[in-house]
Amino acid sequence: MRKHRTLIKSAFSTALGVGAAVLLSGAAQAADLSLKGKKIGVAVVGTQHFWDREAFNGALDMVKELGGEPVPVDGGRDNQVHADNHDILLSNKVDAVISILGDGAVEPKFEALKGAGIPVFTVDHLSPHGVNNTTSDNYYMGTTIGRYMADAIGGKGKVAVFNAFEGALRICGIRAGLWKYVLQDYPGIEIIQPELAEEFANAPEDARKKTLDLLNQYPEGTLDAIHVGCWDQPAIGVVQALEEAGRTDVKVTALDGGPDTLEIMAEDGSPFVANVAQQPRLIGQTAAMNAARHFAGESLLPQTFVDVRPVNGPEEAKAVYEELGYGTL
Amino acid sequence: MSGTNSVSRPALFSAGALFSAAPLIIFIVLLIYLGISAPNLTDPATINLILKQSVPTVVVCLGLATVVVAGGDDVVSGGIDLSIPATAIICAGILADQLTNHGSPLWSAIALAAVAAVTMGVLNAVLVVAIGMTPLLATLASSVAAVGVTKVITSSRRINVDHPFVIYIRDANVAGVPSAVLIAAVFVLLFCFAVHRTRWGMQLQAVGGSRDAAEVSGIKTSSLVAQSFFIAALAGFLASFFVLARGSGSTPGSEENLLLEMVLATFLGAAFSPRRIVTVWGAVLGAVLVTALSVGFKSIGVNVFWTGCIKGTLILIVVASAAYSGRAQS
Repeated sequence: MRKHRTLIKSAFSTALGVGAAVLLSGAAQAADLSLKGKKIGVAVVGTQHFWDREAFNGALDMVKELGGEPVPVDGGRDNQVHADNHDILLSNKVDAVISILGDGAVEPKFEALKGAGIPVFTVDHLSPHGVNNTTSDNYYMGTTIGRYMADAIGGKGKVAVFNAFEGALRICGIRAGLWKYVLQDYPGIEIIQPELAEEFANAPEDARKKTLDLLNQYPEGTLDAIHVGCWDQPAIGVVQALEEAGRTDVKVTALDGGPDTLEIMAEDGSPFVANVAQQPRLIGQTAAMNAARHFAGESLLPQTFVDVRPVNGPEEAKAVYEELGYGTL
Repeated sequence: MSGTNSVSRPALFSAGALFSAAPLIIFIVLLIYLGISAPNLTDPATINLILKQSVPTVVVCLGLATVVVAGGDDVVSGGIDLSIPATAIICAGILADQLTNHGSPLWSAIALAAVAAVTMGVLNAVLVVAIGMTPLLATLASSVAAVGVTKVITSSRRINVDHPFVIYIRDANVAGVPSAVLIAAVFVLLFCFAVHRTRWGMQLQAVGGSRDAAEVSGIKTSSLVAQSFFIAALAGFLASFFVLARGSGSTPGSEENLLLEMVLATFLGAAFSPRRIVTVWGAVLGAVLVTALSVGFKSIGVNVFWTGCIKGTLILIVVASAAYSGRAQS
């Protein structure tokens, strides 16, 4: 047992060492880059959710660290307001724009910025008008959560999915699409139709109500899992509903892995069994660094992928929580 | 002589007069502050942007102003139509669904959206005129219903639209002015003319001023109030094209912001009228100023939640001031 503990301890210190080395090399790289004298617009769709806020703050802090002047605009979780905010950045004559999330409404705005010679660096939104998109490895996220969910229900059963944004946001298309792709190899798993549509602006409460309705429709023993296709704020409401209805036998899986959802996963007997955690702060920082690389004359690849951490079960939730610097559970 | 002065001065600078002018004073102070803090707010490009962004609000305000003119500007028992943004959203949802998901021709998509708008107008008119519900509650209920139907139609999902007609409204410029602004200007002129310059408009104002007096003079008040709700639904229908163009598609939830700005702009507009009453042109000016305020706050980096808080407070001041003026007049 002691040997086991020593092994885990040494594995942790190695991981921490590697992490520190990566961070240090990042800092060293950042030291060579500069946004001095540049006005950088940073537009985010909203700051209510951990992910959005972290990516936004990460980008703002890195712009400042690199000597630039950030011009922040927040859409208040309204995609239309977020899109319109790009017009304000254009009229403010910024040197570059970092645009975090957003739906199709931002595309003509990106085109206008590009037309005015202002480079756009997107986060989680691949656009033909952007220089580069910084994002998590969504392909890995989609397939991993598919495998974990299939394993959690023993490879068969009925599954409900919150999937309102598969057609509207490319990241959701990849995540939900690849989750479904994996499930093709599990003929015993049936996805309940019609799929559920979450209201993103009021995600947990809306998902709680919709889950309670779903549980009425599918009595005990007829529903095995609920998956949230693109993020995990609705999963908070899903877990609340399962606990209220005493149906914690239904497994929950989702994607994003912020501290709030990792805490729920780490609880004993939590129905929330699997997730893939992203590093939103690092994503925002990377987007700002990419803007600096662009100004330094480096040519960037269309996409920069930032590592994710798969989370399977409460123990991994605790470990990832600590690893990503959220504290100890 | 001195006696006359001593009477008129307190009337001009009385607490009541100051309170009813409060929205205007606050707005002017805010705009001056923003003009100093965000110097590019007065750039031609930024003014163009403000005008362009204000178009959907301007068009829904035309409808609300008409309803308030006909129903009187008592915020609770007078004329109000909270369902205009929902009408705009349901029409935008139908247009987007038909054009993108069903590949329907433009005329049939427009016809279907028009049917939805007519239904909303008739529903509100029946609820208020025939059943006698308070306009505030009736239109709140129809708004919730319309948003629900929109979610069914669009499956609560965003629908992108790239129809050339919508792109024209979004991107085209005529002599350097956005086409959306020019089209909206035509609507504004038509509404101003109809409500303030025609016999029908005068009757509408008479009904709003005093329904009893209007009835005594032989005006069909119920019919005019019903027509005002119908006109409001028409404004919602017209606004849907601008909503669709602004977002390059229909997005669930866009009615919330529109509702907030519509109410703020229309009642703020009353502050521009010498008699502190809601007018079409006042509402339009209000809509442009509210947008200028939003753009200004963002330009100086004010947190979006503070912007919401400031707008909410302004609505409170504007509506309280309108209620106070109404009470003082009565």
